[in-house]
Amino acid sequence: MGSNNRENEIIMALKDNQFYKMWFKDAWPYLTGAVLLSAFQIFTLASTGSPWGVSGVLANWGAWLYEAVGGTVDKWYYFASEGAQRTLENGFLGHPGSMRNIGIILGALFATLMASQFKIKKLKSWRQVAAAVLGGLLMGYGARIGFGCNIGALFSGIASFSVSGWVYFVFLFLGAWAGSKLLVKFFM
Amino acid sequence: MSDASSGNVSSGSIRRSSRTRKKKKNMTPIGMAVGAVILIIGILLSLKEPKLALFWFTGMAFGFILQRSRFCFTASMRDPMLTGSTSVTRAVLIAFALTSIGFWAIKYGAVQQGLPIPGMSYVVPVSFSTIIGAFLFGIGMVIAGGCASGTLMRVGEGFTMQILSLFFFIVGSLWGAHDFGWWKLNVISNGKAVFMPDVFGWAGALVVQLLIIACLFVAAHKWENRKNEQ
Amino acid sequence: MAEYELDCLGEACPIPLVKAEKKIEELAIGDILIVQIDHSCAMKNLPEWARKEGHNVEIEEVDDGEWEVIIEKTK
Repeated sequence: MGSNNRENEIIMALKDNQFYKMWFKDAWPYLTGAVLLSAFQIFTLASTGSPWGVSGVLANWGAWLYEAVGGTVDKWYYFASEGAQRTLENGFLGHPGSMRNIGIILGALFATLMASQFKIKKLKSWRQVAAAVLGGLLMGYGARIGFGCNIGALFSGIASFSVSGWVYFVFLFLGAWAGSKLLVKFFM
Repeated sequence: MSDASSGNVSSGSIRRSSRTRKKKKNMTPIGMAVGAVILIIGILLSLKEPKLALFWFTGMAFGFILQRSRFCFTASMRDPMLTGSTSVTRAVLIAFALTSIGFWAIKYGAVQQGLPIPGMSYVVPVSFSTIIGAFLFGIGMVIAGGCASGTLMRVGEGFTMQILSLFFFIVGSLWGAHDFGWWKLNVISNGKAVFMPDVFGWAGALVVQLLIIACLFVAAHKWENRKNEQ
Repeated sequence: MAEYELDCLGEACPIPLVKAEKKIEELAIGDILIVQIDHSCAMKNLPEWARKEGHNVEIEEVDDGEWEVIIEKTK
């Protein structure tokens, strides 16, 4: 009983701690996110020689999974280059981009736990399943032929002064409009 | 019963919560344990290869920032039409502007020193595949409830829907990689990569870029307030 | 002063907001809408929308990762 009270005291103290509230509990303004993401994007270009990218890594994950069940991607144009082949050979644990994507997942997990806001949200309906399947496939395919996702093609593309980034912006916006219509009609 | 409110909540002056508050278990110790594990893995990675640790920790930073600020690119593109809100849109535009300035400094600095410009692999050809790819991605991210970074973030937050979405994102990526050869041959090779400094000069490119972003920002601001002006 | 509850637990972004927008039209002025959510985006965009519309809003964290957004319709 005594330890329970002590625990409650600590929890109460934590809740009122200004440091905890600012860094871990209260949601940050969007502007703060924008500034910090920009800072780390710039740091990424400076330290790695390339901007931030997310979806390219996922194609490699697909290749490794495919290879794990007996497939081979060695004849595909996409994986034909020396660099791509070397990346595949080095595997998941040797792939910096993969470490970054896992880092994103864990960073979000860490943030949620520290705020005591973690909760497993289970799938609620078959509509959600369909939405996840269809949405995931569209994103994966679209990102490959569009040369990237909202990070690599949009955020990094625009910031890299590539006109492709702005073209992506326009059609991403139109796609989101179409997606909203579909969402309300079929997936709500 | 404790009356402590947490986070950005206010003290119930409209009414008290309808749910009897369950005794919340505090997860912060678990969070710190997870943090320690992340740190240890990072150190181990650095022993294998420093670059792996660099990517590991920057990924952590991105994930942490995205979750803490509820930053969602999907919302930035979707909300203007769906809910009339452009607050996230404007934040994304600010990120574009700040990052552009930083990237510009790095790239121009390289040119000044006679070094190769970093990040040029992200200057890709503009063709129909960009158009179709972006459009498909836009549909997909709204339906799936998250874009690429958003999906990873939500996996970390415990959304099983996004775990499923991520799996099919991977499948779709493999499919796209498979078809990429066809697209390259028939569509992308007809396109051209355009690097703005090549067209406008270095100073000009920065001015044009920031001008575009500023115009979009003003448009977004007006859109947000259009009801007030009626 | 009627009270309405909207269970949006487990819903993906932006569904809680869209449902709340539709539901609040059914309410009379002075009524209260309580939206139950467990989406971290919604705990931001729901209050933002409600305040923009001019309603009184409060948000309470009722459990780990669960919030109640309490909206009093004022117009």
